Amino acid sequence: MSRLWGYLAHYRARYLGGILCLIGATTLTMAVPWLYKRAVDQITAGAGMAALLRTLGLIAGIAAVQGVVRTFSRFVIFNVGRDIEYDLRNDLFAHLERLPLAFYQQRQTGDLMSRLVNDVSAVRMLLGPGILNFINTPVYYVYGLAIMLSIDARLTLAALAIYPVALGVVKRTSALLMERSVRVQEGLADLSTRVQENLSGMHVVKSYAAEEQEIAAFGRVNARFQEQSLRLARVRGFIGPVMNVVGGVGALVVLWYGGRQVVAGRLSIGDLVAFIGYLHLLSWPTMALGWMLSVLQRGRAALGRLDELFAVEPAITSPPGATGIMPLRGEVAFRGVDFRYPGLAGGSPVLAGVDLTIAAGSTVAIVGRTGAGKSALVELVPRLFDAEAGRVLLDGHDVRTLPLGWLRRHVGLVPQEPFLFSRSLRENVAFALDGGADGRAAGRVEWAVGMAGLASDLADMPAGLETLVGERGVTLSGGQKQRATLARVLAAAPRVLLLDDALSSVDAATEREILERLRGFFRERTTVLVAHRITTVKEADLIVVLDEGRVVEVGDHETLLARGGTYAELFREQALEVELEAI
Amino acid sequence: MRPYRGVFWTALLLSPINQTFALVQPYLLKVGIDRYIRRGDAGGLRGLGLVFAAAIVGELVSSYGQQYLTMVVAQRSLGDLRGALFAHLQRLPMRFFDTTPVGKLVSRVTTDVDVLNEMFAAGAMTIVLDGLKLAGIVGFMLWINWRLALVSLALLPAMAVGVDYFRRAARRTYREIRERVARINGYLQEAISGIKVIALSAREDAAFVEFRRLNADHRDANHLSNKLEATLFSLVESVSTVSIALMLWQGGRLRARGLVEIGTVVAFIQYIQQFFVPIRDFSAKYAVVQSSMTAAERIFALLDVPAAPVPARPRVPDAVRGAIAFEGVWFAYRDAEWVLRDVSFRIAPGERVAIVGATGSGKTTLVKLLGRLYDVQRGRILVDGVDVREWDPVALRRRIAVVLQDVFLFSGPVADNIHLGRTDIPPAAVAAAARHVNADGFIRRLGGYEAQVRERGSNLSGGQRQLLAFARALAHDPAILVLDEATSSVDPETEWLVQDALTKLLAGRTALVIAHRLSTIEGADRILVVHKGELREQGTHRELLARGGIYARLYRMQYAPAARATARAAGEG
Repeated sequence: MSRLWGYLAHYRARYLGGILCLIGATTLTMAVPWLYKRAVDQITAGAGMAALLRTLGLIAGIAAVQGVVRTFSRFVIFNVGRDIEYDLRNDLFAHLERLPLAFYQQRQTGDLMSRLVNDVSAVRMLLGPGILNFINTPVYYVYGLAIMLSIDARLTLAALAIYPVALGVVKRTSALLMERSVRVQEGLADLSTRVQENLSGMHVVKSYAAEEQEIAAFGRVNARFQEQSLRLARVRGFIGPVMNVVGGVGALVVLWYGGRQVVAGRLSIGDLVAFIGYLHLLSWPTMALGWMLSVLQRGRAALGRLDELFAVEPAITSPPGATGIMPLRGEVAFRGVDFRYPGLAGGSPVLAGVDLTIAAGSTVAIVGRTGAGKSALVELVPRLFDAEAGRVLLDGHDVRTLPLGWLRRHVGLVPQEPFLFSRSLRENVAFALDGGADGRAAGRVEWAVGMAGLASDLADMPAGLETLVGERGVTLSGGQKQRATLARVLAAAPRVLLLDDALSSVDAATEREILERLRGFFRERTTVLVAHRITTVKEADLIVVLDEGRVVEVGDHETLLARGGTYAELFREQALEVELEAI
Repeated sequence: MRPYRGVFWTALLLSPINQTFALVQPYLLKVGIDRYIRRGDAGGLRGLGLVFAAAIVGELVSSYGQQYLTMVVAQRSLGDLRGALFAHLQRLPMRFFDTTPVGKLVSRVTTDVDVLNEMFAAGAMTIVLDGLKLAGIVGFMLWINWRLALVSLALLPAMAVGVDYFRRAARRTYREIRERVARINGYLQEAISGIKVIALSAREDAAFVEFRRLNADHRDANHLSNKLEATLFSLVESVSTVSIALMLWQGGRLRARGLVEIGTVVAFIQYIQQFFVPIRDFSAKYAVVQSSMTAAERIFALLDVPAAPVPARPRVPDAVRGAIAFEGVWFAYRDAEWVLRDVSFRIAPGERVAIVGATGSGKTTLVKLLGRLYDVQRGRILVDGVDVREWDPVALRRRIAVVLQDVFLFSGPVADNIHLGRTDIPPAAVAAAARHVNADGFIRRLGGYEAQVRERGSNLSGGQRQLLAFARALAHDPAILVLDEATSSVDPETEWLVQDALTKLLAGRTALVIAHRLSTIEGADRILVVHKGELREQGTHRELLARGGIYARLYRMQYAPAARATARAAGEG
């Protein structure tokens, strides 16, 4: 809750203004039934048109002013709700961006989305319509009771006699409503899970011809959900009619009891009109009570979930006051590095005691079997993760002492799984460039696309570089995605270039061609190639062989081959693969 | 909705009844004032009070009945729609699921149908009923006193223009809001899945700026809709009050000429108030109707996706033998990117055949085609002498059991994962199958056949999942068993159980195994070597090794190192 006060404080002037207007508008509204009373009494008494017109003029004037003030109050309060929703969502997004990759590996996208979308909305409901009714209801009651009591205390008590009962019913119904809504939500979740699993396991369903059984099983969950929904409907459908009854009973009491008072000369017909009017005005806020309770509950639960997210500390951040290295040579070194993927505590270490120096300007290849720790090694350099023990050094500086943004601008990692955003190919390639896809960057983008071997693919795309790719655009093949991802990093021309098996989906010939073209580019910077194909690594200055998280062999191609160890074994297997490819 | 026509009409018929009960109350007020109170007849009020009370009860019962019955129709129809959607999904071809994200389909069946429910609860139905209500009120007023009624409704044309203006403005704004919400959601989804790229490119600030812009667009559209709604709400309130003032003015004039009684004036205050309530709530309902129209469009678009083709006269060969033949099969997932090229082979009943090939050679596709998860583009596949496209699909798939490498388990009881809902597999058969493939040990430890398997089998080990899949296959007692052997190693003890189970499972059936284990290829009657989508070699292990072709290389590349590693591990252990 405390987080909320900060946001509210920021908008306090407008918010208070809106609330004052709201109270003003409600005050004016509450004057109207009293004026109806005066008009009806004037008509009954035949007091003449002049007096009546004065009253009616007052009513029309109040209606006009009230309309303006109420419009203003409603949109000011609702807009502040939207403003706070906007701020909250921005802050949450900015916070999420600072959280390390490890956080995302342990969370489901759907859950994060739901917090950013649904929970923030629930808070907005609390601050907009929630607050509006929260303020409005007591104001209505205070005015309504005061005026009615001043006319006739006993009639007031009689007319409101049903209210405690009504409030009890509302309270009980709200509780039932909440409970049954939760059931329906759960039912819907069951339904989702059922469909989700069925669709994910569709190959099993089809292979075992289990469609009919699945339909039957879904039918059962569906029927249960229907029952739950109907149970909810039984309660939900109750509220409206009950509130109508409250209004009706009020009118009945006024007619029956108030009527006797009129006959006895203690009240006027106009008084009856006023009573009916006030009872009418009070019925809505009473009905809204239950709804308000649920908005309040939902808003608080949502705030709790948001607080939980905000409480996650960004584990990988820029140290304060850090400066980059000028000029950067690009030497990368690992000193006694141990590493385990976070969240997999107790798992075997991914890297254990890695000591390795990659000279500035050299091209180094990392090879090893699946799971040897090759990806982890390169992921530690731009600090996607931090080492558990030991240090990763860039030109002798621990990477944790360097500004994070600076580090990542100068260390370019092409990850194993390519990822493209749903925008044009140009924007994807220019993604890491300042100024996006503007004129200055255009040359860089075209150069990178050419270097990554995408130029010929462009010809087949409907709009060349402007072709929309990703989920809403053209679907690229795995190899095309990898090359576009490579182009994105090439365009940024980082001092240290890390390729994490970045061309695994590209056929061997194309890969050779691309690497051949990049040779000069590599020579101008430090390049680390995590590679699968031995042919790719043969010409590296240094080859590092990893096995189960340890550096087991270091040397050039000839030396390692002569040693007859892991590298030589890998080489023999791959030579066969090359042969096979050629058959 | 058709089966619930009766209920639907009852609900609709209750509506005028309910309205009559509601509209008669102000009239009773008028009668009370004019006939009893004004004449000092307090006693007469008692009888009138009883009638009034009856009207209240009548309104309560009929309006609750109407709302409830409407919901019954809505829930039943939407339940049916949901069931139909689900059943339709079961009939769509596998290709459809390869290209459509699961999440999208899930929200069609759940959220979108739910939005339609809102339409019933608060949208289209109520707008129609509200229209009836307005007509009812106007009719009642005209009937009671037309002179007073006409003046009361004098502002109505102006109001109609205002509401219509609002409707136009709102349509645009609501559409904008929906689009902007979708854009925010899309952006968030992508930013979260692409967070690694954003971090690696150090584009957090740029991404934030973009998000803030989308967020601001969304906020602005909502500000506009708030303004519109607040204006409409207050306008309706004010017009309602001014209409009452106009009515009172006319009431004063008519009363002076003796053309109206005071009770009528009082009743008209109520009628005018009742009249404007539905108009005030119009904006909220209108938004619901709009979004439900979009949901309905999406649902019907899904229902329009053609189902997988079914043979006109499905055939079920009587003789269960388990013979397989591929005749000149060509297949591509995406047009002209051939995954299989002109593949032909025959497998005799009871034969055990291993398929061998490098990654991406097309082995897995072969087994998918056999159960007709996809249709071939050229050539044909015969099972027991009949083209799979002519088979009754259910009968075909019951004759073939497929165990894929990545075992898919459903959350729910262990037993359900074995019989997959087939009622003709009794619990005893489930237990027998599990026992036979050595799965009963861990099932007992888990808590028996009713013990819950968590989503995707996350509470089971890889080996246990394998055994459960074997039990599933065995319980379905297929003539043909298709197996994609797991590559991932399991602990030695489970490994032994899996090997033993596999031997039992394969006994007496035609078996097609994508082999990853040396023992499997050595034990096969014949080996098919698939390379770049073509069947390049076939024969026994010895023959193929001696030939020194693709198989010999594959063997040295894939199986020999694994065998060495196993030997090394055994030596260490």
